[in-house]
Amino acid sequence: MKLSAVQTDAVQELGNIGAAHAATTLSQMLMSPVEMSVPQIKVIDISQLGQYIGEESAALVVFELQGEIPHGGYIIFYITRASAVRLTNTMLGLTDENRPLNEMDESALLEIGNIMVSAFLDATAELLGFIMLPSPPALTIDMAHAAMESLIAQMAEEVDEVILFSTELVCEEHKLDSDIILMPEYTTLTKIVGLLENMIKPR
Amino acid sequence: MSEPPQKNDIPVMIGIGEYKVGPEPMMSIGLGSCIGLTLYDDDHHIGAMVHIMLPDSSGRTDRPGKYADTAVPLLLQEMTALGCKKQKIIAKMAGGACMFIYFGNNLNIGERNSERIKSILEENHICLVAEDIGGNVGRTVIFKPREGGKVTVRRADGVSIEI
Repeated sequence: MKLSAVQTDAVQELGNIGAAHAATTLSQMLMSPVEMSVPQIKVIDISQLGQYIGEESAALVVFELQGEIPHGGYIIFYITRASAVRLTNTMLGLTDENRPLNEMDESALLEIGNIMVSAFLDATAELLGFIMLPSPPALTIDMAHAAMESLIAQMAEEVDEVILFSTELVCEEHKLDSDIILMPEYTTLTKIVGLLENMIKPR
Repeated sequence: MSEPPQKNDIPVMIGIGEYKVGPEPMMSIGLGSCIGLTLYDDDHHIGAMVHIMLPDSSGRTDRPGKYADTAVPLLLQEMTALGCKKQKIIAKMAGGACMFIYFGNNLNIGERNSERIKSILEENHICLVAEDIGGNVGRTVIFKPREGGKVTVRRADGVSIEI
């Protein structure tokens, strides 16, 4: 699917609103400011995925998009492993950064992901009047590429190309680097683009 | 003093659905449910590697390296075209994990991938001599045909094993 400049702008704005709400919840949880990048739209051939998402160790909290479209794609809270430790340390009042992540960390990451993704999807639902509900979360802390390729392999529509909307969320104070990534199925993307076009069409 | 790395020592990246046949080192990073399959002929020191994503092509032909049922015959064909004998070719594979325990279980694509590859290798009388598959860990695979078809599997925690 090729997006026109207008469609790209519209989808970028949607990502902007969703990510801004997610960033606000993260900022509240951390009680520190969180900076947000301009949302990026990346169309990636699956054979080139490794150039965008490598073998770095990261935590991914993954939700399937459900609701009006039952298997709508995925939304992912992505955080490098080093940042994940600092994030849960901040939440749990710990200081050791060279420790293994345990069950407590995993629960914390799942919960943080849950809150952020819910805020993202609430905001987009309000804007679009189209509801995407998050499934219960799944977590993996491993090579980022391994997690992403497994998600792509289990997408409802088989694809040779994926579209990722990613927004970087950074907290300077706690040295946290994370991303919110939306990976919609084509049906979801078509629906979103259609709704956005209707909104911006002059009446 | 160690030698500076030779240009031809840098492995060729084999992305999802890609494959390569030849003597040079090859590598697939971050295999999850996908499988890195290597074939090797010790007489010719020629190898082949493919990064398989799904078990079945369902008739699709545009990306033969993406599916188990199209990838294995293609690699065998390309190797025999270079003079390799089928009965001399040995196979190794890694990957096929289940990265998300809470969903996708019913699909378990990793397991289906490895089962399908095994049965196709068997049909073609290719001996699978080593494997590191399953579990819930990501793997990076490095294949060196020039070093006797050495296959190294590296995990996220940095631990490397040779299979």
